[in-house]
Amino acid sequence: MNRSAVSRGAGLGQLDLETEVRESAFGAALTKSDLAVIALAFAGAAAAAAIVATGGVTSETTAFSAVLVANIATLALGGLVWRRGRPSSAFGNLLLAEGALVLVSSLAGSPNSVLYLIGMLGVWAVALGATWLLLVFPGSRVSGAAWLVMGAALGTFLLGALPLIFVSPSVFGVSGIAGCAAACPANPALVAHAPTVAEVFRHVEGGFQAAWGIGLVLYLAGRFAWATRARRRLTFPVLVSAAPLVAVFTINAVVVDLAGVRPSSAGIAIFAGARILYPLGFIAGLLFARAYAGETLAFMARKLVGRPSVAAVEQLVRRVLDDPLARLVFWLPRSGQFVDRHGVRTVLDPAYEGLTWRAFGHGDTQVLAVVHDVALGEDTELVEAVGAAALLTLENRRLEHDLLDSVDALRASQRRLVGAASAERRKIERDLHDGVQQKLVALRIQLELLRDLARESGLGSRLEGLATDFDDALDELRSTAHGIYPPLLADEGLDAALREVARRASVPLTVDLEDVGRLSEDRETAIYYCCLEALQNVAKHAGEDAVASLRLWRDRKAVRFSVRDDGVGFVPRPATKGAGLTNMTDRIGAVGGTLAVRSNPGEGTSVLGGVAIEASDRIDDAVRV
Amino acid sequence: MPSVSEVADREAVYRLVVAEDAYLIREGIRSALEREEDEVDVLEYCPDLDSLLRAVEEHRPNVVITDIRMPPTNTDEGIQAATALREDHPEVGVVVISQYVSPHYALKLFEHGSAGRAYLLKEHVGHRIQLMEAIREVAAGGSVVDPKVVDVLVEARMRAKNSLLARLSTREREVLAGVATGASNAAIAESLFLTKRAVEKNINSLFAKLDLTDDKATSRRVRAALLFIADSDLEERADL
Repeated sequence: MNRSAVSRGAGLGQLDLETEVRESAFGAALTKSDLAVIALAFAGAAAAAAIVATGGVTSETTAFSAVLVANIATLALGGLVWRRGRPSSAFGNLLLAEGALVLVSSLAGSPNSVLYLIGMLGVWAVALGATWLLLVFPGSRVSGAAWLVMGAALGTFLLGALPLIFVSPSVFGVSGIAGCAAACPANPALVAHAPTVAEVFRHVEGGFQAAWGIGLVLYLAGRFAWATRARRRLTFPVLVSAAPLVAVFTINAVVVDLAGVRPSSAGIAIFAGARILYPLGFIAGLLFARAYAGETLAFMARKLVGRPSVAAVEQLVRRVLDDPLARLVFWLPRSGQFVDRHGVRTVLDPAYEGLTWRAFGHGDTQVLAVVHDVALGEDTELVEAVGAAALLTLENRRLEHDLLDSVDALRASQRRLVGAASAERRKIERDLHDGVQQKLVALRIQLELLRDLARESGLGSRLEGLATDFDDALDELRSTAHGIYPPLLADEGLDAALREVARRASVPLTVDLEDVGRLSEDRETAIYYCCLEALQNVAKHAGEDAVASLRLWRDRKAVRFSVRDDGVGFVPRPATKGAGLTNMTDRIGAVGGTLAVRSNPGEGTSVLGGVAIEASDRIDDAVRV
Repeated sequence: MPSVSEVADREAVYRLVVAEDAYLIREGIRSALEREEDEVDVLEYCPDLDSLLRAVEEHRPNVVITDIRMPPTNTDEGIQAATALREDHPEVGVVVISQYVSPHYALKLFEHGSAGRAYLLKEHVGHRIQLMEAIREVAAGGSVVDPKVVDVLVEARMRAKNSLLARLSTREREVLAGVATGASNAAIAESLFLTKRAVEKNINSLFAKLDLTDDKATSRRVRAALLFIADSDLEERADL
């Protein structure tokens, strides 16, 4: 997994979220707290063994101490693995706490009656803790129907076992399993021996315990049956490893307690083995989840090749999470809110409609969040893999977009500049036409009238000279105005304006000018001046006998033009790109068009250009192909 | 000022409607036409296309002089007027006056027929002969193109090497230009100091060289000649 910060949010658009940067979870060295936990676990196990060994009360002592040491070891290992594998999860700490309870329960092997009593209470706590672990895995808190099971467990202890201590001379463990069988220390908490009352409590205890065992079996089975595929992957190893423990426990609860049969030694042995084994299921579950997350990441990486749309990424996220309601939302730093892929503002509230979310980003910056079913909340590896894959894909797309945006912005500003220049030229042409030129024309008319009147006197010939000067001035002004902006281009469009250019061209020219309809002024101007420039180049450089052709046409996508000649040609190099060619490229580039110049010595020159048709262009349906 | 009876007696009195939005030019036209008041009677001066068409309906003139570029769009209202009048009042001759020397507009004016249409540069409105010739020609169903438009065009075409026009002799070129302006054979003969017979000979040979038919209707002959000069070299060639 790449180095990405994963933040989990609990509040509405909360920004100062708990942030962790994680390396590969199992690859890192052990931290001091891990070492402390391991040391404590071994010390505890050693102490438990010592307590039991020094007790020497029963023949079962050795087996009992071995079971406890092994149990503490597996729980501590599980806790360690979970703390490192899923630092965000409290489950690792729950395993360690259970290990600590087992340590306490080892006191049940002590010959001291007070320590023995504490140990026996510890035995109950261990049983309640194990139930808690099985109910909440992979979370940390009991909720919903699990409370019924937990209630039955607590009822067994609080309403049965605990009151029984005060009215019965012997302290009973869970399902009669204890470190001592015959020569247990006396019960220091006994208030009064009351066999009748004790029998009542014993029945209460038995009833609750049966409910506890059966409830646990039903709850686990039901949860597995209705779990998502991802959740099953996580819980399957746990169910397998916990099955013997739960089975023996439940059989004991029903048969031993209710039917009053003593547990067989085989049953006790199986129960002891199951206690040692079941924490390994939690480790296996985590490993399974991680392996699956890795596979998912690889799968997504394969699927996200190319440039998938946001919708496609979201669809894939739903598929791999097996959560049809999963969504991707995107953080807008400027407005400080999340929006979905349609741009609709999304309020993230984990308590809302059974959804929760996980944010992904770089460093302290969040980019997107995966909103998913609460049930997936503890499938951290999977959600992280999915989020990271989505983040990578969409980050790339965003970078690409940013790049395109800046290119677009550059082009737009270039286009505005060229457009403004072109509009300005057109305005000057109009001003000249309607202003100075018109005044000169009016004066020319008056002059002609005057000349008529003065024809008889000697003034006539002088006025005639003045009229000629006037005509020259008018001609000059007219060609200047036309050069600034050809009015024909604005009035009639490209084909008419280019036809006029061709009429006045000083090279032999064939034309093929299609009616391409009207484009925006900036694009028409760009094409017009490019053709003009190219024709001037033909006249200047193509040589004496060169013949040129000018073509204008349109296809489905673009208006295209070409100016070709059969003249001397040149070797196209960046260095030979004179002001003329650069000008043409800039003009066409500014309106998003393309220009290609092809030439070879002796093979003439071709200038080919095209400008994309836009939706706003006025093109007759007849012309539209 | 001629008396009413004198006016009625005269064979050719031109009843005009003039459309021009620019004050200075309009005053120039007014002065020029006042000079011809024994032959020309201006019924109304209009500032735009709509008022021009209304004035034609009202006064039924036989000639309209119109600016090419007027409100409402300031593009080619004069040509629009000419086109509209060909439909509604084909008997009305139209002189389009323009500051554009570009042959595109002249050709566009002739697009729907050249009979009774003239294209005159505004600066030549003061020229007595040109103005009156244009008015007389369009009233009689003929065509006129300002010689300057033809000259500019011929000059540009001649600069182009290998132009078809270059195949004509200088004399033939001059005659062709004359034909393109709408001048009669007699007028061409006079302007080129030739006999009418020589002009006819030249016309025959150049029309043969250019593969044009010498149409007897002069207005169509003008259009053909102008079109030829403007566009003959611009046809697609197989070898390119």
